[in-house]
Amino acid sequence: MAVDPERRAELREQFEEFASTRAPEVRASLIEAHMGLAEYLARRFGNRGEPLDDLIQVASIGLVKAVDRFDPERAVEFSTYATHTIVGELKRHFRDKGWAVRAPRRMQELYLRIGKIVSTASQELGRSPTVAEIAKEAEVTEEEVLEALEAGQAYRFSSLDAPGGSNDDDEGDGVIAQLGEEEPGLADAERRATMDPLLATLPEREQMILRLRFYEDLTQSEIAERLGISQMHVSRLLSRSLAKLRNQAADET
Amino acid sequence: MSDGGSPADPKVPEVHLGVPATPEFVRLARVTATGLASRAGFSIDEVEDLRLAIDELCFTLIGAKGRPGQLALRYRLDGSALEVVGAVNGTEGVVPHLSEWSDKILDALVDEHEMGPSQGDDDTHRFRMLKRAG
Repeated sequence: MAVDPERRAELREQFEEFASTRAPEVRASLIEAHMGLAEYLARRFGNRGEPLDDLIQVASIGLVKAVDRFDPERAVEFSTYATHTIVGELKRHFRDKGWAVRAPRRMQELYLRIGKIVSTASQELGRSPTVAEIAKEAEVTEEEVLEALEAGQAYRFSSLDAPGGSNDDDEGDGVIAQLGEEEPGLADAERRATMDPLLATLPEREQMILRLRFYEDLTQSEIAERLGISQMHVSRLLSRSLAKLRNQAADET
Repeated sequence: MSDGGSPADPKVPEVHLGVPATPEFVRLARVTATGLASRAGFSIDEVEDLRLAIDELCFTLIGAKGRPGQLALRYRLDGSALEVVGAVNGTEGVVPHLSEWSDKILDALVDEHEMGPSQGDDDTHRFRMLKRAG
């Protein structure tokens, strides 16, 4: 956030004033002056399934804390200090929701590489590769492969997503929607009736993947091939759907 | 549900893990399971199914928001078969049970699964699952 020197000096004065007087109107003015920073940071945490308004709210709480705690005597810019506090508040928000915060970049990259290896190896071998085979191909340890898979389940990566790089909610949408119309199971009223009514609350494509896995008994790789998405994307969607169903069931009791 | 209690046999490695019975520790239950599964030569499809199964079983046992006390896990790797037993103490009226849907998905994910009160100890509830590679 670039601030011109004059404005910066003005803000500095306000901080000094606030430090000695704790005057509410100065506090309000300081918060107001830095709302842009809070919004900017909130946006960086967007695209993880949380409404932006909520995130801005959370970021604002962080900003208020930062204004209240900032000590202008210390040799640190307020923006640096506030960024730290606001990001901390946002991370806590996601953690409280039980959603993982962005995985280390190295793990994200490994996750994406594994995704490609899995599709290539599955075609070459005609079966799903073992963890050891993937580790060998990726030239990492089996533990690292497993760690990357865990990281991949982080509720969703925000920008780097499945191989192909598209957003979680968009990838394969068209393909699945098309398939959906031809899917005989979809119109099967009898099968529908036996399905947990909670299922109906999920997006259509997630319902379809659940059906293919648990009613048609296809493997994750087979579903991936059928829908033209990666096996790891199938895995992620399954994991997400089951977690949603569990939470809904828990809320109802 | 007999509890192994067999003497240590290096050919049948056993791993014991105790974690707080809260959602953030289910990850450890999962990672331990997949670590062992990878030793047993599970395919990536099987590993991913195992993860889903552990989530389903652990969350059913501890509840979506967790519970006080510990979740005790025992993993046993016999050749290409991984057995996992999880137990919690003191259910205090909230008896964990598998819904029809959970039962259905576990049928697809693992070879054997069950959940219920421990034999001779109504206050302890547990699950047991077994999954074979290949």
